[in-house]
Amino acid sequence: MAETITIHVRCFSHVKQALQTDMLDLQLPAGATTAQAEQRLREMAGGQLDTVPFRIALNKNFINTEQALNENDELALIPPVQGG
Amino acid sequence: MVLTEITHKPLENLPMDDSRTDDGAELIFHGRVRDEEEGEKIIGLDYEHYPEMAESELQKLGEETAERFDIHDLFCRHRVGRIAVGEASLRVVIWSRHRKEALQAMDWFIVELKKRVPIWKWGVTADGRRFPSHCRHE
Repeated sequence: MAETITIHVRCFSHVKQALQTDMLDLQLPAGATTAQAEQRLREMAGGQLDTVPFRIALNKNFINTEQALNENDELALIPPVQGG
Repeated sequence: MVLTEITHKPLENLPMDDSRTDDGAELIFHGRVRDEEEGEKIIGLDYEHYPEMAESELQKLGEETAERFDIHDLFCRHRVGRIAVGEASLRVVIWSRHRKEALQAMDWFIVELKKRVPIWKWGVTADGRRFPSHCRHE
């Protein structure tokens, strides 16, 4: 079994601004969860996202509970949306 | 029937439909870009969306609206990309037998759109600066 997995992170709005990219790959330990990925991304933002609440989208669907990640999953931290 | 679309193109007027004989209400909403965002004068907004997910969430929301309220049809177009002040970013039409259901459905649909469809706004100033909006008016 692989010791790490790679997931693809889509970045929008405040996340894009904080991380200076619209997409990145994130390497995590096998068995890592969405919450661990979120924590890693917040750390990468150097505190710029500490006060921003997120919903989590996994493979383009909102999730409401922490989930285990798989190789090549697509994750997005969804800051408050503003359509209309 | 629920038809939703996210497009980069300027929004055209949705056609009037004089063939409907059982709908007493045809309710039309146009959302337009104001000249101020976060207290700053702007020349437009850049609407950013999460491709595929925004489309599916908008369609799901339209279908949920049609289940929740006694309406017949809901059509919605949301524009993304750079939209100049004064131009439309959102067009919604709802048909129903009576006006009350259409009015309630329209308000709920737009409130929910602003909560769950992954679209974000960046203000654009005359000197070309972009800043993320924190605007969350319901």
